[in-house]
Amino acid sequence: MSPKEMSRRDFIKLTTAATGGVMGVALGVPIVAYLIHPALREGSKEDWINIGNLKDMEVGKPFPFTFTRTRINGWERTSSSFGGFVIRKSETPEDLLILSSRCTHLACRVHWVDESGVFNCPCHDAQFGREGEVLNGPPPRPLDRYTDFKVDAEGNVSIFIEEG
Amino acid sequence: MHSILRSTLWKKVYDWLDERLGLQNLYAAVLDRPEPLGNWWNTLGSASAFLFLLQGATGIFLTVYYTPSPDHAYDSIQYIMEGVAFGWLIRGIHHWGATLMVLVVFIHMLRVFATASFKYPRELTWIVGIGLLLLTLGMGFTGYLLPWNQRAFWATTVGTEIAGSVPFIGDFILKALRGGPDLSALTLQRFFAAHIWMLPALMAALIGVHLYLVVRHGESAHPDPED
Amino acid sequence: MNEETKQKINQKYARQLDKGERFWPDSIFKDVIMAFGIFTLLILLATFVGVAPEPKADPSDSSYIPRPEWYFLFLFKFLALYGQIPVIGKIEWPATVLIPGIAMAVLTLLPFIEKSPYRYYGKRVLPLSVMTIFVVSMVTLTLLANVPTTGEGVYVLGILQILGGLVVPGVGFAALFVMAFTLKEKAAKLMVWTAGSASVLMVALTAVTLIIAPPHTSTESEVAATLPDQIIAGQDLYSLYCVECHGDDGKVTVIEGVEGLKGKVIGAINDTDTLYTFTDETLANIIIYGQQNQGMPPYGIASGGELTRSQVDYIVTFMRYSWDDRFEMPPMKPLFPPLAAGEVPSYDVHIEPIVKRYCISCHRQGKDNNNYWMTSFDEVINTGDNAPNLEAGNAESILLLTIQGTPILDDNGDELIGVMPPSKSMRPDVIDAWVRWVMAGMPKTAEDAATLSVTPTPTP
Repeated sequence: MSPKEMSRRDFIKLTTAATGGVMGVALGVPIVAYLIHPALREGSKEDWINIGNLKDMEVGKPFPFTFTRTRINGWERTSSSFGGFVIRKSETPEDLLILSSRCTHLACRVHWVDESGVFNCPCHDAQFGREGEVLNGPPPRPLDRYTDFKVDAEGNVSIFIEEG
Repeated sequence: MHSILRSTLWKKVYDWLDERLGLQNLYAAVLDRPEPLGNWWNTLGSASAFLFLLQGATGIFLTVYYTPSPDHAYDSIQYIMEGVAFGWLIRGIHHWGATLMVLVVFIHMLRVFATASFKYPRELTWIVGIGLLLLTLGMGFTGYLLPWNQRAFWATTVGTEIAGSVPFIGDFILKALRGGPDLSALTLQRFFAAHIWMLPALMAALIGVHLYLVVRHGESAHPDPED
Repeated sequence: MNEETKQKINQKYARQLDKGERFWPDSIFKDVIMAFGIFTLLILLATFVGVAPEPKADPSDSSYIPRPEWYFLFLFKFLALYGQIPVIGKIEWPATVLIPGIAMAVLTLLPFIEKSPYRYYGKRVLPLSVMTIFVVSMVTLTLLANVPTTGEGVYVLGILQILGGLVVPGVGFAALFVMAFTLKEKAAKLMVWTAGSASVLMVALTAVTLIIAPPHTSTESEVAATLPDQIIAGQDLYSLYCVECHGDDGKVTVIEGVEGLKGKVIGAINDTDTLYTFTDETLANIIIYGQQNQGMPPYGIASGGELTRSQVDYIVTFMRYSWDDRFEMPPMKPLFPPLAAGEVPSYDVHIEPIVKRYCISCHRQGKDNNNYWMTSFDEVINTGDNAPNLEAGNAESILLLTIQGTPILDDNGDELIGVMPPSKSMRPDVIDAWVRWVMAGMPKTAEDAATLSVTPTPTP
């Protein structure tokens, strides 16, 4: 075979590979972006949410509250609900501890058990104390707290919610 | 008289097909192969393949009536169970077939491990097989969400949270699986796409490689004290 | 593996092929029998066991206890037990990612880890022992999945599970590897004993745990599978939650008898204005979120109420099929089995569904009812400021009078108890059931009622 033929064959091989490669990239990059697009989406909406009034909250007894937030996922508007407990430490209006009811292990909702004075999570039997501290089980950290809250003149309690 | 005519006709048809399809070659290469003496443990591999095909068939029929949207998924399955003739049977086979397939594939793996059949020259067969085991579990995980009932929804919530516990990239993985931060219509839709197309395509490809390797190297013999 | 060993293996295999069977028909025959067995098993399972109905997904109702598919339960339990380990139990990813990842990597790369050419069981004691402990622990963890790990009175159970699920297999693995590296060839028998006793111990600890564990209360909420079941479920819920304001036929336009809303004008909910223009989703939303500016409280769990999404859907289905003339009601079972001549009704079969349909919306805790509660057999018989409301054999019992249109007056002639139900009296066959029941002595169970029933002798 003459050198000219060899290089022609090589040229053809190279062109085939290059053309295939270009098509692969041209398809591949958009496809990857297509698949992971929702994972890259950012979004935030912040708001003050009213969660109840002091007159309904007994000192020392966790007061449950829930609120819903609407999120937009694709073409869907979904309302997710969040919840927690307000615990009045004393008669002072601002002396509040507001805990989230979401278990810090894998996000199940905890319940307050009056008889034992603990928050119990039904999923892996985790237990939290009155301050939200972990008493038992796999949660890695205490119950989250809503630290941004305010109490207005009429005793309405609101928490500040950011969304991601 | 009648049977002679029929056999001559059949022979002609067969020869015509054989010339074009290479039926005799196929028979010699695939079917008429020698195998070492085997026992019933050796049926587990083909049982896995049989279950794959059965799940594929029942799955395809289910997609005739199932809608992968949160508004309609649950009701469409209710319709399949109550309203469609033999819908309960197709769905029931698919439901139990999933459990059985995981069991059979796992026991098949254990058998291959026990007889050390994964050693030379069948190492690649084993690696492909583990890939198939993982894909089977993936099929189970994606399929589990599709009925969109409480069990499906919350089990998937926890499952994706676990995926999100990977250090550094966990949050990205969770959002990529869910199609966003929460479980939503996007999640159902992509699990559906994975379950009916992407994972089965991968499985079919790997099954093809697995079968090619099994035919090429033959089924392994059961070990004796000399091995 | 050197070329010589490979040659030996290949030559031996060629000999085994010669002495063996053929793929077609010998192997395929066995394969087909196995496939047939599997096929039959699946049809039997689909027919006689079926698929357990579950309520519809309700993203707001996270009180539901999630469980993964059964083949992930061992991981699920492993996570729960791992979480009990002090200090490192709080870090999640070693248990969710690292350990399973390493296990999968070892499994995948097994041909490169177990490099010896040996295949006979006697020469592979270490890998077989490791796999035995591993599989037995997977099975026992799966069986333990529904046993609580921590909580009130779970201390002993927790210890047993940690022993059986983590300690025994962990020690077993460690022992095997120590033996393999120190004793080498002589380790075989000891390894078999280790694997065997670890397995037996795991099984025994699991058995003990399961025996002393409290019975598992699964979160089984009522799921109505067929349309008639959904309509009945919806009607019962409507009777409980909605009747007070909207009436049992939905046509109330002025609310009576509800504290704080007396005289409030509302739209009827059974007319075409509502049913033709509101979709099922809208009706569901109204029930879930309420109409709080007008005094209708929210009933959905996410908004602070009690109803799950499924329950809301049942109510909407009931409304749609009962009042929307475009929808034909399917054939429905009667509220209670019709009574034959001489038959005595029982509380369990006849009276309870009646009470659920017509009485409970008012006659329960927190409502205005002279403290006459009717949510259980005991309550029906014993409670109430004017008790006894029912007297065996007394046709003038308070309840019987009120349901037949006679109010009970006090000494001054003022009404103490009005006619019941206040808005509309019950159907004659329902009233008849009440009368028969009270006159016969108010039997609770069907068996008790059957002994009191008489088959009337035909008139000659």
